[in-house]
Amino acid sequence: MSTALSVHAVVKKFGNHVAVDGISFEVPRGVVYGILGPNGAGKSTTLRMINDIIAPDAGEISILDGLKPGSDAARQIGYLPEERGLYPKMRVIDMITFMGELRGLSSGEAKKRAGQWLDRLGLSQWAKNKVADLSKGMQQKVQFATALIHEPALVILDEPWSGLDPINAEVLAEVVEEIRSSGRTVLFSTHGMEQAEKVCDGVCIIARGKKVLDGKLKDIKRASAADGLVALGWVDDAAKAKAEPVLADRALVAEQRPPRPGDVADAEVKLADGVDSQQLLAALLGAGVGVRRFEVVTPTLHQIFVERVGAAAAVAERRDA
Amino acid sequence: MRETFVIAKREFLERVRTKWFVAMTILGPVLMVALILIPALLAGRGGTGAKVDIIDQTGKVAPLLSVNLQKLGDWKITVVDPATTDEAELAKVRHKQLNGFIRVPADGLAKGSTIYRGDNATNQVVQGLLHEAVPIAIIAARGVPLDKLDTPSVRAFHTTGETAGESGAGTFLLGYIIAFILYMVITLYGINVMRSVVTEKASRVVELMVAATKPRSMMSGKILGVGGVGLAQVAVWFLFGGIALAYRTAILKALGAGADAASALPSLDALQVVTIVAFFILGYLFYSTLYAAIGATVSSEQDSQQAQMPVTMFLVIGMVSMTAITGDPRGSTSAIMTLVPFWSPMLMPLRYILGGASPAEVALSLGILVVSILVIARAAAKIYRVGILMYGKRPGFAELVRWLRY
Repeated sequence: MSTALSVHAVVKKFGNHVAVDGISFEVPRGVVYGILGPNGAGKSTTLRMINDIIAPDAGEISILDGLKPGSDAARQIGYLPEERGLYPKMRVIDMITFMGELRGLSSGEAKKRAGQWLDRLGLSQWAKNKVADLSKGMQQKVQFATALIHEPALVILDEPWSGLDPINAEVLAEVVEEIRSSGRTVLFSTHGMEQAEKVCDGVCIIARGKKVLDGKLKDIKRASAADGLVALGWVDDAAKAKAEPVLADRALVAEQRPPRPGDVADAEVKLADGVDSQQLLAALLGAGVGVRRFEVVTPTLHQIFVERVGAAAAVAERRDA
Repeated sequence: MRETFVIAKREFLERVRTKWFVAMTILGPVLMVALILIPALLAGRGGTGAKVDIIDQTGKVAPLLSVNLQKLGDWKITVVDPATTDEAELAKVRHKQLNGFIRVPADGLAKGSTIYRGDNATNQVVQGLLHEAVPIAIIAARGVPLDKLDTPSVRAFHTTGETAGESGAGTFLLGYIIAFILYMVITLYGINVMRSVVTEKASRVVELMVAATKPRSMMSGKILGVGGVGLAQVAVWFLFGGIALAYRTAILKALGAGADAASALPSLDALQVVTIVAFFILGYLFYSTLYAAIGATVSSEQDSQQAQMPVTMFLVIGMVSMTAITGDPRGSTSAIMTLVPFWSPMLMPLRYILGGASPAEVALSLGILVVSILVIARAAAKIYRVGILMYGKRPGFAELVRWLRY
């Protein structure tokens, strides 16, 4: 499969601070890909390097099968920067048209498409107003139009959901879905895991400038499930008492955990290394435990994120100390 | 290249569409004419019909002096008691009963020194009248017959041998006007470029732009677009000016000036026009490039006020030095200042119009200017590229030098 974006061992330092520390990931064409990480992880810096706003100190970036960041690539990229900004005194329609022209459209075509986008975003009656006259939410929509007017093969959105109300968030999700179904690629950054889990095909989680993990969302979740987290429910208190010694067996169970918030499981356990979930089930039934619920838990992206990023942060702190 | 054009087009259209531009383009010539005419018209006022006392301690000067001043300037003259003190007269001036008074001291005939004190003493017409009337009255009082008093006159014509010799005043005036317009437009639009850069940073649109195009295209597009506006505006002004010159006799007559004033304004030949246009364009490029770099180093309009000071100082020095050029167009000060790129855009056209510079000197000055622009543009592009994405504290000189090495 051809790739929309390949980032290889990219490094960016600002003075003594290493903002991006050897990050690599690959985004296939036609997917929605999320770069996830806490604040200050290096997400925006990475996106800026892809957009040729700043140059990496080391590493390679290849866009749409071989283009280097720069003018040629820029025509096929649509970008929504984290720092939202438009020309405040420009008329709305002129602003969108201008960005279309700058990204390679002819003046007439840019104007036509700008009109279509304003229709679609419900801003037609504002076309001739100045950008500064618009509310913040409306300006955000204009921003999307400036990023998408030239139908870029790669759409890069930096924190697209920040500051959006639920209705506009829905509009954005639709637009993202539409880009994917037309075979184009969306790359976005966020620290909002719920949104990411809903729309992403693939993710790359970074923390403190380093990659924590990356891959298809499905694979990551399956792999995390294989880590052996099992939620259990007992038929009654007697069953609970009978289960205790089985769960205390360190050959089977590595640790017991409190149930996750919102889950009604009676117990949650992490299996010991190399133990299959079926062995635990057999052991429980063999001990005569009345099992009401036995569920191999697929963690949410949020859980994976907290667990992995938390671990990474802990490692980093130890290293710093 | 295409992106530069798209950006230049935006900068141009956004400015040309504003009411401010339309107003300045139409009102500009009106204001300029007013700037020149109003002082001239005001200068005449107060010169005629002034109320003046004469204190004549010789008793011989006052009769002819009062007649002449009444005749020449329509002054209301009262010859007062020779014993009147200055204090008494000054009190009258203070109470606006009097514009001023002339004192001819007792030894005035022998030494020829008289004194005028008045609220209109700085008025050029008043000074002219006094210089004309007082000496004649004194010389007549010394006993020279009136028919021997026709003072010989001298008229000054400006020439350096290359032209047939136009009216000196007219050439100076034209040179001044052109140098002033060049100064004004270069400053106005240079600063406009800087403000445009600052606005882009302040509104954070700069990141959107840098992602879509190169900083170099942004800078050159901005400079070309804003410069195009300046050029369009100046073109309109010169069109007005051309029409005004073509009908100048009628216009000046309508304003009450004589036909003499009309013939005093010389015309420009083609080479002079080309020189003016070349220096205008290059001068604008030189200064706007500097201003663009300055704009990139600051984050707010307030900061830019301070940061632009050094460059503005150079412009002002050039402006102030105009008298040095007109005073001695062929002198070494003129020769050196018109080669320095900070000043040559304004001063060289002035010097050339005055006939102080040879075409070779003009060519050398242009050459130096072009090379300076190329050097400065390279440095400015680097500062711009780094600066537009920097916010917060203004970089020091050392940091700017570091940016140049990126």
